[in-house]
Amino acid sequence: MRTSPGEGVRIAMSSREAILGKLRERGEVPFPAAVPVEAHRHVVPLADTSGAGLYGRFLQEASQAACIIHEAASGEAAIDAILQIVGEDTTISAWNPEYIPLPGLAESLAQANIRLVGEDASVRVGLTGVHAALAATGSVVLLSGNGRPRAASLLPPIHIAVVSATQIVPDLESWWTAQKEAGLDQLRQHSNVVVITGPSRTADIAMQLVMGMHGPRELHLVLLTGPA
Amino acid sequence: MKVQSNNFIPAAQIAIHDVDLQTAVSFGTNSGFTKRQAAMFAGGEAHGQALRQQAAAIKRHALNHLADLLEQAEANMQANGIQVLWAIDGEEANQHVLEIARRHDVKSVVKSKSMVTEETGLNHALEAADIAVLETDLGEYIVQIGGETPSHIVAPIVHKTKESIRDLLVAKANMPPTDDPGEMTQFARQLLRERFLAADMGVSGGNFIVAETGSIGLVSNEGNARLTTSLPRVHVALVGIEKIVPTVADYALLTQVLPRSATGQAMTVYTSLINGPRQPGETDGPEHVYVILVDNGRSHIYTTAYAEALACIRCGACLNGCPVYQVTGGHAYGWVYPGPIGAVITPLLTGLENASPLPYASSLCGMCKEVCPVDIDIPRMLLDLRHDLVEMGQGGAVWNVGMRAWAWGNSAPGRFVFGGKVAARAANWLKPKSLPGPLGGWTKYRNTPKFAPKSFRQLWQEREQERKGVR
Repeated sequence: MRTSPGEGVRIAMSSREAILGKLRERGEVPFPAAVPVEAHRHVVPLADTSGAGLYGRFLQEASQAACIIHEAASGEAAIDAILQIVGEDTTISAWNPEYIPLPGLAESLAQANIRLVGEDASVRVGLTGVHAALAATGSVVLLSGNGRPRAASLLPPIHIAVVSATQIVPDLESWWTAQKEAGLDQLRQHSNVVVITGPSRTADIAMQLVMGMHGPRELHLVLLTGPA
Repeated sequence: MKVQSNNFIPAAQIAIHDVDLQTAVSFGTNSGFTKRQAAMFAGGEAHGQALRQQAAAIKRHALNHLADLLEQAEANMQANGIQVLWAIDGEEANQHVLEIARRHDVKSVVKSKSMVTEETGLNHALEAADIAVLETDLGEYIVQIGGETPSHIVAPIVHKTKESIRDLLVAKANMPPTDDPGEMTQFARQLLRERFLAADMGVSGGNFIVAETGSIGLVSNEGNARLTTSLPRVHVALVGIEKIVPTVADYALLTQVLPRSATGQAMTVYTSLINGPRQPGETDGPEHVYVILVDNGRSHIYTTAYAEALACIRCGACLNGCPVYQVTGGHAYGWVYPGPIGAVITPLLTGLENASPLPYASSLCGMCKEVCPVDIDIPRMLLDLRHDLVEMGQGGAVWNVGMRAWAWGNSAPGRFVFGGKVAARAANWLKPKSLPGPLGGWTKYRNTPKFAPKSFRQLWQEREQERKGVR
């Protein structure tokens, strides 16, 4: 709280009012020539937005971002790929399988005696689905929620994200446009939206790139190309 | 943070003779500059320039409506369950954080990178209140254990070599000696992870606030910003009031232009948007989220001819491109923000009299404007600040008398011609090896030029007379 000087009378004025008041003191706008941008450019212009074009671009960009990609033509092949990465581990950090587009996943993991936990800092592998994948930058979009802990994509050194080819959209801009059309109030229900592009990294020490600073050092994308 | 910007010249002189700093800064800035160039224009020169113009328009339009957008953002954040506080200065911002810490019985704090908390000196305030605070960005952590301050907006230890980082980690964190950045990183990951899991409160900055959704936008490559805003039960974001953008479409563009400009990435590894505390059914995420909207001099800048400086998105491109920053590094600038943008906002936020050398810490080559993703006219503002300094009488007595004499001598043709003749005669008679007084700086590395036997005016008059003669 700031006080304005008076004859012994302290008139309290909140910082909020003081700041807004100061900003409004400036009668005319600081940049009269600036107009709102109506038609936002796509940061990465995509020549081919067909299904095959987006798929190819997503593969290319995700590889460039140091993701490890496992293409799977069927749900079974996808589950096999996941089991191979999990290896001998008996506990993984995972989303509720209902948010991962692979029918039979829960049963397969149970058969392999793999226990699923939400957040556990000691496990080696985290398994999640995604809300969407972005072709232009090779990114995946994850929304937090019931059965979708943030920890699964953040704490373990290895993160496996299951992506269905049908989830690939052109870019971040078009994904947001779709969210806006669906109503932003719906999106605001998710306390956390994260766009992940490759594994965690740092170049703070002498500009040398090192993976796995705080988040996963490996990001595996199990990419389902056929029917689940 | 204490302002030591009036020390710029001696500090820069020391930096120029620091071999380690020269090696590290030159490598780091060149690397950043080259990567930015490639990423910004990956879609062609014209497309890259058009993106800059859109980014510039978005920020300026947002600043035009700043007060309204702040109110809209506040209402939407509150609707999302975020508690919004306002701080007129750094002290009030720190007070808010301490009050939140008391309310939630906080003993330990983890922080992800935030320049605004460098402004407010938050770490000192927390330590003074017996609350442990740990920087978790690898660079910021090394800065913290070394008792230093960041020397670059996005690469805090760009001034340090691998060897000096190794020595620091060995001495201060008991790291087993290694020269491998991978092993150093693993060591820091484990050490910091334990502290993350034990922390009560996470403090972050904010790259953007989206007004239409009431969300906090954060970018991070390491993932420490995600951990800071996901693991502890309380999350506090300190955000400058100029960080508001109106819509998610504006945000989507800016959040991609920022990493292209900063590190040459198409997207940072984690581009997060935080919409509020954990929802029912969620098993992680903070229970309480606070946003502190920090003014600390920004509303003052808003009312001046320097409002453009508030468009800055803190990418650091102007630092990497600046021939002065490239040789002085960041610490010489003496406060939180170094480089060309620092030379503008340090005097504006801390007082021109406390940072009077900074507007001159530039060759006005224009690179800072050219690489700026939001097209801030930094050279124009540096010149205007120089003008302000002269108006304030900061030019120095000799300088002012000299300039007045110069103006008098040059404002009448007779005085100009006479002055020229006297100077030429005196110079050719005395043949000085170096010029006297402050002019000596010119002749220190150059020969004193000889005056031509005839002045341009004389030659011109003679030529005109000859032409008349021919006709």
